[in-house]
Amino acid sequence: MASTSTAGAAGAAIAPAPAAHRRPFAAFLERWLPALPLLVLVGAMLLAPGVALIVGSFVGDSGPTLDNWVRVFTTRGDQLAILTSVALGVVVASICTAVGAPLAWLISRMLTSRRAFWLSLLNVAANFGGIGLGFAYFVTLGNVGMITLALQGFGTDFVPPRPASFAGLVIGYLYTNVPLFVLLTIPAMGAVRDDWWEAAQVASATRRQFWRRVGLPILSPFIAAGWLLIFTWTIGIYGLAFALAGTGAAKGVPLITLRIGQTLESDIFNTWRASVLAVILMVMAASSLLLYRRILRWALRWF
Amino acid sequence: MAATTAPAGRSSGVGGLPGRRAGPALLFAGLTFYLLLPMLAVFLYSVATVWRSQLLPDGYTLEHWISGLGDERLVFALLRSLGLATAVTVLDIVVVVPAIYWARVRNPRIRTFTELSAVIPFALPFVVIAFGIDRLAGDFVPWLQSTPWILWLGHSAIAFPFLYWAVDGAMAAAGIERLSEAAETCGARPRQIIREVVIPNITPGLVAGGILVWATSFGDFALAQILTGPNFETVPIWSADALLQTTGKGNELAVITFVTFIILFALSAAIVYWNRGHTLRLLPGAGAMERTEG
Repeated sequence: MASTSTAGAAGAAIAPAPAAHRRPFAAFLERWLPALPLLVLVGAMLLAPGVALIVGSFVGDSGPTLDNWVRVFTTRGDQLAILTSVALGVVVASICTAVGAPLAWLISRMLTSRRAFWLSLLNVAANFGGIGLGFAYFVTLGNVGMITLALQGFGTDFVPPRPASFAGLVIGYLYTNVPLFVLLTIPAMGAVRDDWWEAAQVASATRRQFWRRVGLPILSPFIAAGWLLIFTWTIGIYGLAFALAGTGAAKGVPLITLRIGQTLESDIFNTWRASVLAVILMVMAASSLLLYRRILRWALRWF
Repeated sequence: MAATTAPAGRSSGVGGLPGRRAGPALLFAGLTFYLLLPMLAVFLYSVATVWRSQLLPDGYTLEHWISGLGDERLVFALLRSLGLATAVTVLDIVVVVPAIYWARVRNPRIRTFTELSAVIPFALPFVVIAFGIDRLAGDFVPWLQSTPWILWLGHSAIAFPFLYWAVDGAMAAAGIERLSEAAETCGARPRQIIREVVIPNITPGLVAGGILVWATSFGDFALAQILTGPNFETVPIWSADALLQTTGKGNELAVITFVTFIILFALSAAIVYWNRGHTLRLLPGAGAMERTEG
């Protein structure tokens, strides 16, 4: 009797427990379920792989080690690849800024129909990259490319830059990155209002004075942000680099991305090198992007 | 005056305010030349018989188009790329739209995570992501390695931010919180609200973002090469192979490259149409500018 009643009491005490357990879980689901598929996708396909690479770069045959990093930083080929990638990023981003900023400004001031035309064209170029663009380079500026033939037809002894050279890569990279820079910075050009120029004119300021004292100080953070983004983007480009310089086993230009690809293709038992290089690339790109967001947050106060 | 000498007034930074000057005209002429010439060269190459010694090809033919579009391997690669890009777009719409909607109407904390997630594909170069995924898959799910499924998931992960920003902007513009509240007051269920209230109101963002996702998947080489390679030959993989073989495939490569151009042109025109002349690519994290841009 007594025992059953205890059991009954215990049962009664336990009975609500699953419900109480279920309630926070149900509440959690209610708050998060619609977002879970996206967060799981990002976790499994972006976060976990990043973590795996970082861990892999510090693991050797006999447990945790710094050897991989030491070996990469003391190998001439790796040093060269890192330096070349950074140099390429700086050169491409600087040219994009010098050409792209005026273009973005001019397009932002166009009437809608003309602007739509340029936006479409730039969008195509910005999305056209990789192997197809590499091929287009060969057909245009290769040894028997269209421009080469035309210039030689005029009697010049024009020799095009080799695709697998620093200059060749810069020319190729600019094709997608200038349009990308323009598309990214056009919205920011709205920060300079047309009536400010009118006000400056009323105060008899010259165009040069207006830009130096008003226009550029406002736009410079956005332009700097664009520079950083193109730099980040450039050091990570793989398809186009592969098409232009990746075929002759890095005889042309050593780049981090190409070296990662080559290690994976040919040296599958030494992936530690690719891991370290990938983490170096990750750190450079991530810190550049972090700086970019800093600058942008600060600049957005104008809006 | 003085401004006409320097291209777009380089010395004074960006160009001047509207007006007819020689600098900008030169700049745009140069841009047109730079952007269109490779496209023209690729097209001419695709219809050339022989092109060796002069500005234009020696003769013209449609043979490469017929043989290229009749080549089973190439056609299958094209079909794979089209199918993959479409599947990636569908998956991204299915996972992104509910997440943003829920972050707006129920749980703002979701936004902290999604905003950060949307930056990752920009901070990690695709070749790094591809290598990481491949490594991880080899350790934990070897049966997924080198399958189209993992490429599908990988592409969806790298491309989703385009859809995320476009849809988030569209929901803000449509004032989805109030619409949703109104629908709820009328007794609509969440799924019903998404289908009948949210989707119709964010169509422009959905289309434009979806197109960018589609184009990202269609053009990707890094993930395709490292994750699946020849096991699932897409157009970029086929093209890389054709480019490496020094014999014979140049003209067919020109055909498929030009087809890619045409597809991109159509998609790009569609984006600009749906956004009515606004730019679509935003500086990541600069949503505030989109709303004020005129």
